[in-house]
Parts: sequence; C-alpha cells; structure tokens
Amino acid sequence: MNGRSQPVAMLVAVLVLIGLGCARIPYTTTVVHEDQRVAVRLQREITLAGYTHPVQIPPQQVAALLRGFSLREQQRLPLRWFAEETPPKKLFREDELQVLAPQLADALQKVGSEERVYFEVFAPGMNPRYRRDVTGGWVAVHDQLLHLTIDYFHVQQPVTQSDPYDYNYPTPWTPEKTYLLYFEPGRFFLADPKTGRRSVDFREFLKTTSSP
Amino acid sequence: MGRTSSLSGVSLTRWSKVLGLGLWLVCATWWGPPLSLAADAGKLVEKDGKYVFVESMDPATKLLLERAVKQGTITREEYEAVARESQERAYLLQPSFKVWYDRGFNFSMNDNAFFLKMRFRTQIRFTQRTRNEAYRNPGEAKNFPELLGVFGDYRANRSEDSAAQFNIRRMRMYFMGHLFSPDFKYYIQMRAETAENAQAPGGLALMDVNFSSTHLSWLNAQVGQYKMFFNRSQINSTASMQFAERALVQDAFTASGLDRRDIGITVMNDEELFPVNYYFGVFNGAGPSFNRLGSFQSEEPTQGCPGGATGGNPFPSPAGCPVNQRNLNANVRLDVNKLMYVGRLMWNIMGRPGYGEGDLAYSESPQLAMGGGYAYNPSINTSSNNSFVGIDLANLNFRRQLAAFGNGRQLGLGIVDYSTWAVDSVFKYRGFSLQGEFYFKNVTRHEKGLPCMNTACTVTAPGQFGNAFGWYVQSGYYLIPRKVELAGRFAYWDPDTHSGDDLVKQSDVSLNWYLNGTYDQSIAVTYSNIQMGTGGYAVGRSAPLPSASGTVPLDVRGGTLIENLIRVQYQLFF
Repeated sequence: MNGRSQPVAMLVAVLVLIGLGCARIPYTTTVVHEDQRVAVRLQREITLAGYTHPVQIPPQQVAALLRGFSLREQQRLPLRWFAEETPPKKLFREDELQVLAPQLADALQKVGSEERVYFEVFAPGMNPRYRRDVTGGWVAVHDQLLHLTIDYFHVQQPVTQSDPYDYNYPTPWTPEKTYLLYFEPGRFFLADPKTGRRSVDFREFLKTTSSP
Repeated sequence: MGRTSSLSGVSLTRWSKVLGLGLWLVCATWWGPPLSLAADAGKLVEKDGKYVFVESMDPATKLLLERAVKQGTITREEYEAVARESQERAYLLQPSFKVWYDRGFNFSMNDNAFFLKMRFRTQIRFTQRTRNEAYRNPGEAKNFPELLGVFGDYRANRSEDSAAQFNIRRMRMYFMGHLFSPDFKYYIQMRAETAENAQAPGGLALMDVNFSSTHLSWLNAQVGQYKMFFNRSQINSTASMQFAERALVQDAFTASGLDRRDIGITVMNDEELFPVNYYFGVFNGAGPSFNRLGSFQSEEPTQGCPGGATGGNPFPSPAGCPVNQRNLNANVRLDVNKLMYVGRLMWNIMGRPGYGEGDLAYSESPQLAMGGGYAYNPSINTSSNNSFVGIDLANLNFRRQLAAFGNGRQLGLGIVDYSTWAVDSVFKYRGFSLQGEFYFKNVTRHEKGLPCMNTACTVTAPGQFGNAFGWYVQSGYYLIPRKVELAGRFAYWDPDTHSGDDLVKQSDVSLNWYLNGTYDQSIAVTYSNIQMGTGGYAVGRSAPLPSASGTVPLDVRGGTLIENLIRVQYQLFF
C-alpha cells in the first residue's frame, strides 16, 4: 500500500463518517426533572411518530395507570422455553409511583408530538457507592392509547463512566432489555391499530377509576 | 429487587451462571461464613444521605394489623411496636454479607466496609498470517530481535510465509474491591496466556497489584504495580479496544521505554469530577515485577574493570585493568538510586469521553478531550556499549523488555536516559469516534563515543543513533448503535530518526460486534497490514561486526518486511 495515500484515505473516510453522524436512536432534548430518585426527560424520535402530545393526565391518574402494569423479561431462545413460566412481577411499588407519577404527568404536558417521555426510577444498588438500581423506560400517547415500554427493570447500572476499581476500563450502561408487559384489567390493553403494539386505552380505563 | 434473585437477574448465559455459582461456592467455603443467601426481606433505601437496610413487613401481616388497628383490637402504639420488632427481627436474621452477580462475582459485607469483585476475561483468537520473503531472509532483527542465552545474543526473528494459529491472547483474573471503606480500594490482576512472543513466555504471572485512596477527590493516590498514566492508548484497557491488538507504535512509546507497567506511586484528581485531570507518578522505571536492584552488569574483581570472557579483556577497559577471570567476576549494581518520573495532564473540553476506544455509549452530546504526558526514565542499561555480542554478561530483563516492545534498535547503546513525550486527543459523538496520538522519544546515551568494534577500538560503529517518533490516528463508526462498529487505523513509526529505510507503517480495519452492547462480550475481525523497513544500523546486527563474528551482516539482503494478518477474536469478560 502506498504510504502517502493511506493518511488521505483515512481522512476521507473520517469525513464521510462525520457526515453520517446523524442520530439513529432517540436522543434527549429536554431534561424535565432529575434527582436521586427519578429522572424524566423528553427524547426526540428518529422517525415520524405522530403522537398526540401534549396531554393532560393528573398525577393520581398516571399512578393508577402505572399501577396496572406487570412484566417479565423476554428471554431469547432456547432460554425462553424455560424462563417465561415465571409469573409477571408488579412493575412499580407504591413508593416508586409516588415519586414518578407527578414528574411523568408534568412531562406529558410538555412533550411534543415527535417526542417520547423517557423516565428512570433509581434506588441504591447492591454496591451503593458505585451502582444504582434502575427501572426505566418511556411512555407516549397515541390518541386514546397510552404506550409504555420498559428498558430496565431493577437493573444494576454504574454511576461512573470508568470502573471505580479498574480505572482503565470503561463501564457503559447495560443496554436495554426486552420485557413482556401485562396490564390489568386486560380489557383495556389493546393493540394500537397504527403500530400494532399493545397499549392501554387510558381514557376508557380512567373512567373506571374514581376521580381525584 | 430480591437479593437472591440478583444472582440470575442479569443478562448472563446459563453457562456462566453455573460456573459463577461454582466459583462462589468454592470461595464461600474458603471464607468460612455459613453457606446461605440473603433473605428477600427488605431493601436498601436512602435516608438522611445514608443508605440503610430496611425490612419490609409481610403484606398480609401488615394488612391484618392495620385492620386490627381500625377495628380497635390493638392500639396504634401496639401496632408500631410490633412493626418495629418485626423489622428488628428480620434485620437480625439477615446474614452479615451479600453475594450477587453484576459484571463479576460480588461479595460484600452489609455495612459495605469490605467489597470483593472477581472477574475473568479471556480473548481467544485465531490468526491467519502471511509474510513476504524478507521475513525468511533477513528476518526481523532490529525492532523485535530475539535474545538467546544468558549472554543475550541478538537473533533475527525469521519465519516462513504462512501461519495459522489459535491462541489465548489474553486470560486475566481480577480481584478488586475496597477495604475499610469504599475510598480505600485494591486491585489485583493475574494473567495466563499463550506464548507467541519468545520474549514474553506464557504462564501465570502477576500483572497488577495496587491500592488506591480516593478520600480526597483532588488528591487520589495509587501505589503498587499498575499501568502508568502516561498516554491514552496505554491507559486504556485491552478489553475496550477497537482492534484486536494495539498498533506497534503504541507499544513502542511507553513511559519507561520498557513496559506499560511499573512499580511506584501516582497522585491524581478524580477523573469523574474535574474537567482537567492531572497525574504525577514516581516509579522504579524498571518494568513490572522488577526493580533496579535486580539489574546488574559484570565486573572484574578489580573495581571499575568490566567483566567478560576468561583470559582476555575485550572491552576498551580503563588503563591498568588486568586480564579478566570470569569465575571471579562480580555482579555490580549501578544507578540503583535512580527513579522514573511520569506526568500527564488531560482536559475534557466537551463532556467526558473517557479512555475506552470507540463511542460504544453512543454519546448524545459531543465528547472531546486532549491530553499530553512526559516521562523521564534515566540510566537504562541496554547492554554494554560495544558490539561484542556473546560476552556481555548482564541481567537480560531490560533487554528482553526492549525487544518485546519493539525498541530493539536501542539494544547495545550502553546506558541511556529516555525522555518520552506524548500528545493525544479524542472525539466521540453519536457512535462516531476519532482518536490520535503523537509520540517522541529522546534517547540520550551516557557513553558519548561510538561503540567499538574491536578490542583496540580502532573500528567503531557508524553514528546513526537517533531518537524515535511515531503517531497514529484511528476512527470508528457504529453501523448499528452499541452493537456493530467499523473501525480503521493508520500508524506510523520511525524507530531511529538518524537511520533510513527503517520506517514502520501499519494499517488496520476492524469489524466489531458487541453482543451485549458492552465491551464484555465481543467478536472482532481485524485485518492488519504491517510494513517494516530493515534499514539502519543496529549494534550487533549490522556491519561492521566484531572481528570474530564473520563478515555477513543481516543488512546484506535488506528489504521491507511485509505482513498481512487477519485476526478473529472472541472476548468474554464476566
């Protein structure tokens, strides 16, 4: 290989890659709230989503909606044959709903039609100085349907970029997992005709709950 | 989350769970505590700025008690007393430790005063290599010579044109954690890997053992044996590279000139907190698991007279030195009061890109940093200042390190001082990364004259001893965010600025698949093209040679050594 042409080729390749450097996964546009217990952010979708945001849902009703969810982790084959016999777990505890619901309700009033509301609920990790227990995901509203996706369910995530014990090794977050979600009462958990994903008909559901 | 369930709550294959559980059982047996897992009876919560363990009462019991309070069967005070006793009972019944899996096998006392994380990492590799005819003759004798026997004869590294080999390139065992408090940390790393380089045989060896204090964020301290904080590519772990292997130039410019690890102390501030980071270290400057007291050279019974073969005095010895008698010679330690000094500054201009290569985290905002380091390592004995290969009795540790890291051209230059500079920068954004470094090494010879080629010193080596410099630039882009990356690198290295036809150029392309979206499990397919010039003078391998060594040096044929490699590597870090 010609020695002089190599750096030029490398430079061209770099410029091409910079040009390609557009977002390919949703990215944060606004931090609505962040503290030690909960973080709520607005994230821009990378494809046209056409959500019907913003929407006003009181915190108590957001809590009532979230209270109905349970989940279990979706395993890959062949583990799926064995692991998914486990019963679903409740998604949120009451103390988590108390801190999350008000922030989520606030964010749903601010989020745009091409954005999603991303949230994380924190608790101390097993090694509390350097790990956090994270339950996170995102919500969006399509007409009367509220869509919820969970990325982490009580996953231990690092609080530092490098391993605190091995300075030379970076510790990025464990990537999202796939969870199977369930909602009770099941009659409100419908397939969204636009996306085909299971979502909660929150307007009908909220009619069945006592008004705040 | 239940504490027992955390053993299986992470994305871990059934295999590693079984292995991990087995290892944990062995360790638990050693340490003595009863073999029992923590009960799922509570959770850690933050209260008044501290994390405390709080028991959660059984929901059924709680419901019945609350109903009893409402019905007036028991008083509120009685209810609270029962609840308190229940919590205390549950707390007392807890084991005093917890065990779980989270990127390693973790063992911790409940008060977090002691924490142990055990990790294992392996890189299993298949290499398909083709080399040109120059590798058969003359072979690689200058940058990466092989040393033979106790005298350290320089040997050309030759091979036929094709090789296909499996190897366990890296097998590491880690024991790390904290003692007394989370601010006093320890770190131990062992290695056991396949021998592929004659200078670095396989076997179990200690790589790192160090302790760190992080009590003061602006004055952390690390003491022991570890990788020096000098330049970006060496600070970064081999677990988080964009290619299966470092570029040759990255290894050639370590802080000490010998190895990336050493024994000493470093003070620094907390990389996670400050935008500008400093590192200042003092080390032996002799490489890992070694210090200068282990390095010696031969001396006659008469002080100041260099030792050597029996019955002659081949070195240009001071006047009055007798004919040496090797069996009466001494091993003399010189320059044992010398230390190495290493400094580094880094500025996180935008964000905090860290040292890991590539933008695996898919940074939402641009990350930019630049840094630089300086290292001064005095009085390294590169072997006697002459060409009398085969009669220079001395400890070979320094020489083997020089040869293993590609600094073989400096062998035979006598005692040298290394001053090494490094400047680096990195940029990351949305899966794209660009990183580069520039290195310069000043080699100062203590013996200012040219090496002698005969006992009378009427013939000397040509004056081609220069310094060294090199650079590399590498870039990568995640075709699938956090999963699949394509990376390219070009590296350039001039190992002797006074010699011609000695340049080393390297081009690499790598396709990397991070199976779990972290560095912990990956498959890399790296193609490399390496071209090494065989020109330039190297003591003991170029003309003129010592009178008894014949007249055909390795330079007669010359040429460029060209190597093409495809490395397929699987990494598992668990």
